[in-house]
Amino acid sequence: MSARSTQIALSSRFSAVIFVIGKLLRFAFFFFFLVIVISKTNTIAGYSFWQVIFFFATFNLIDTAAQLFMREVYRFRSYVVSGEFDYFLSKPLSPLFRTLLGGSDILDLPMLFLSIAFVVVAVVQMEAVSFVGVLLYLVLIVNAFLIGLSFHIMVVALGVLTTEIDNALWMYRDLTQMGRLPIDIYRQPLQGILTFAIPVGIMMTFPSKALMGLLSIQSVVIALLIGIILFYGSFKFWQHAIKHYSSASS
Amino acid sequence: MNKYFSVARLTWDETFVYRLNFVMWRVRAVLQILTLYFLWLALIPTGASLFGYDQSSMLTYILGTSLISSIVLSSRSYAVGDEINSGNLSNFLLRPINYFLYWFARDVGDKAMNIIFSIIELTVLFVILKPPLFIQTESFYLLLTFVAIVFALIMYFFFNFLLGLIGFWSPEVWAPRFIFIILLNFFAGGLFPLDILPKFIFSVFQSLPFTYLLYFPIKIYLGQLTIIEIFTGIMISLVWTLVLYIIVQYVWRKGLLVYTAQGR
Repeated sequence: MSARSTQIALSSRFSAVIFVIGKLLRFAFFFFFLVIVISKTNTIAGYSFWQVIFFFATFNLIDTAAQLFMREVYRFRSYVVSGEFDYFLSKPLSPLFRTLLGGSDILDLPMLFLSIAFVVVAVVQMEAVSFVGVLLYLVLIVNAFLIGLSFHIMVVALGVLTTEIDNALWMYRDLTQMGRLPIDIYRQPLQGILTFAIPVGIMMTFPSKALMGLLSIQSVVIALLIGIILFYGSFKFWQHAIKHYSSASS
Repeated sequence: MNKYFSVARLTWDETFVYRLNFVMWRVRAVLQILTLYFLWLALIPTGASLFGYDQSSMLTYILGTSLISSIVLSSRSYAVGDEINSGNLSNFLLRPINYFLYWFARDVGDKAMNIIFSIIELTVLFVILKPPLFIQTESFYLLLTFVAIVFALIMYFFFNFLLGLIGFWSPEVWAPRFIFIILLNFFAGGLFPLDILPKFIFSVFQSLPFTYLLYFPIKIYLGQLTIIEIFTGIMISLVWTLVLYIIVQYVWRKGLLVYTAQGR
């Protein structure tokens, strides 16, 4: 399935090149903006230049990986509206798996590599990075993927129930965009909402803070619990949605 | 003229048909404002200044560009390319209607709705966040801000239309638009005031049309430009508007020559 979607993405070379350039430009422009700002302020919300770059690169890593693997979700509405989703249900493959991971987007690969490169460079530039910090970072990155996966499951479950998906998906994207920089820049109660109610902070900020040694072990445990609960809740929601699927459009 | 007024009104009514879409679109706009607002609030504490902006002028810049972008950047004419590709353009070529004015009327209907919602949202944000805003009271600056916004929305209309005209030659109308939006977000000054950039880069930006879409009108409002700078800016806007108009007309005529009503 991924090979097929890769062939489709590359079938129009002009569009493929433009999309890749666009994504790289978006990264470069925001990076340039951060350089300009920090050249004057030295810090943002108390974080040094390389720490801010590390937050930004980690955000891009999580965001891009989610898009790379779960691009099919963006096409899910058309499957439900056209009735094609019925075929997903009749095949010997989990419809949830097919819906989430049925079409990876190869065009996100350059961005993924760039994000990883920036993560590595920022880690090298930052001082006092411990082995435990790196380990917690990796664990919380996996947790962030789990939260991202949960959001996508909730979005497709909503799509099954209402055939409406685009707005929910873009809302998720905008909310996660608020994690491009450490959520410490937001004031309360917004910071609390972004940490616990809509766990953008746990997803995007916590991994980086853990690596910097700025996260307590209690926060790590709470983050993992929230990740697991969200995943379980989203899976239950999917099961509920699929039971109520009426196949009305086919 | 009545028919174009009807088109604008129909676009307005159409927005109410897809209410959820519109509300979600506006919620997304609020989230984007909040991100920038809190970033700049963190960067410029009360009493401090950065790049020549104090907290009040920077937050006015951020909230002001949000209002101006709801006027300038909201549009429906992004669908021109799809109309050409689907062959629907033929319907308009056969009718006694000016295709440019039709889409401009659609844009006006969309802008009216976005402006109203944007004002409501900013009022709510103002009540909740109580930002220290700069209020311009001089009618001279307000009038020139209005003039700059009118030029900006006409320029943006031509940009949008021009991107749609790619549809005459290629079905891939969304990829160029994607890169245009990314360039626009950076070059128009929606993320930050362009004059915080190094002088050389800023002077290059000043010759580009993007600068006059968001940055220029809000800078007039803030009273941070001299009379000479304002009139120079308006002249550059005027020249770009004319240049874009000529390009759009030329490309439109060339496009019609190759149009085959494919898809019909």
